[in-house]
Amino acid sequence: MTNLSDEIIALSDEYVLGLLSPTEAALLEEVMARDIELAHRVGSLRDRLLPLDLSAAPVDLPDGFTARLGDQLRTKDQLSSVQTATSVPPEPANLNVAPKKWVTGLLAASITGLVLGLGFGWMQPMPEPKVVAVLLDANGVPQAVVDDYGDDTATVRFVADISVPADRTLQVWTLPSADMGPRSLGVLTGAAATQLTFEDLPDPGAMQLYEVTLEPLGGSPTGRPTGPIIGKGFAAQQT
Amino acid sequence: MQNSLATVDGPRQALPFLMGGLPIMTQDLRKDPALTKDTDAQARSNLLLRALADCAAGNQAGVDAILASEGGQLLGVAYRILARHDLAEEALQDAMLQVWRKAKQFNASTGSARGWIFAILRNRCLNILRDGKRLSTLPPDELATLQDSRQSIVPEENWEILAGASRIRDCLGGLDSQSRHIILLAHVAGFSHAEISTRQDVPLGTIKSLIRRGLHALKECLT
Repeated sequence: MTNLSDEIIALSDEYVLGLLSPTEAALLEEVMARDIELAHRVGSLRDRLLPLDLSAAPVDLPDGFTARLGDQLRTKDQLSSVQTATSVPPEPANLNVAPKKWVTGLLAASITGLVLGLGFGWMQPMPEPKVVAVLLDANGVPQAVVDDYGDDTATVRFVADISVPADRTLQVWTLPSADMGPRSLGVLTGAAATQLTFEDLPDPGAMQLYEVTLEPLGGSPTGRPTGPIIGKGFAAQQT
Repeated sequence: MQNSLATVDGPRQALPFLMGGLPIMTQDLRKDPALTKDTDAQARSNLLLRALADCAAGNQAGVDAILASEGGQLLGVAYRILARHDLAEEALQDAMLQVWRKAKQFNASTGSARGWIFAILRNRCLNILRDGKRLSTLPPDELATLQDSRQSIVPEENWEILAGASRIRDCLGGLDSQSRHIILLAHVAGFSHAEISTRQDVPLGTIKSLIRRGLHALKECLT
């Protein structure tokens, strides 16, 4: 049995209705991926509200829609992570659905298991990470979540819409210790969920720094982060 | 179909939604009219599970199967929210790209494939509506038309057409009219808290608590 906080449940209802900002929604999806009971609640409410969607009058697909989509899938697959935007737009604060700090904070805390009654330990479908870090931008808005498994593999998933210019890459870093300095965990061509495998590093620990930076194509030329920071955060220990 | 069956035999770890196995529908069941509706629903559910398994395995037949079964309804939902054929088609296209990419993450133990697919489509529609840059390319009068048409999707009277004959209709009927109207404005027309507050001239905090209370009562009734 789990003891979800009422607030998370209320947020998950609002998620089903479509009332969360994209960042809040992405964070809630991260919580759901770690909490099967929350995922059940969302799926159940979603299915019960589905008749509302089915009441819309159907509209015939235009001729050739399926074929065009098929072409797009093939092209996008090849270019899956090359994006064309030229800048990294911050999430505007005046959007009518801009992420609210307390909401993103609560969801981020749920992901790292810091909220009482939430966290890992039941029906965990994946191997359990040793540490989890939620990476925030300069405004405190979550951008990515890193799960480090302590066996020189980690996953990074993005919870904000990050555009990567065609001549740039994203690079994930950690700082195992001040002596060792920053170590690269991997280079990504776009902000897609990625499994990272890297050099032998000491076991990750609580409060270890993780960050994602924007670097020249192929990764930082110096072996240390040089570009603007997309997000950074400290690890929370899971086991 | 051959491909999807091959998928079923594939690594189950990666496709948790197949762990329960796919029930087999027989022709005999369909002879009983009382069972036809259930059997149709089961057949659709099986079809969509197979289609998502295909997508997860990188087989585009999955996308084609989803569009063949649900495409018209999905586009209908997008058109109802976005009120423009070009935006609705863009939303459906984007949504199908996401379905294709996220199919591996779908877990059938948490809900139906159909609900999952429609949720992705709705989210995509909402992102288009809330992307100021995206909508700023529209002429101002068209933008006004779009906003007004969203408001008129959800009439205060005669809201029942939005729910069809279903449990959700009975339960929505049991809510006070203000909560019901606000919940429908959010779910059916895609309005945010702030938009509903402005349009209904009710403080934001009141809107939030009306939605929370309404949803709570709705879930109690639906359970």
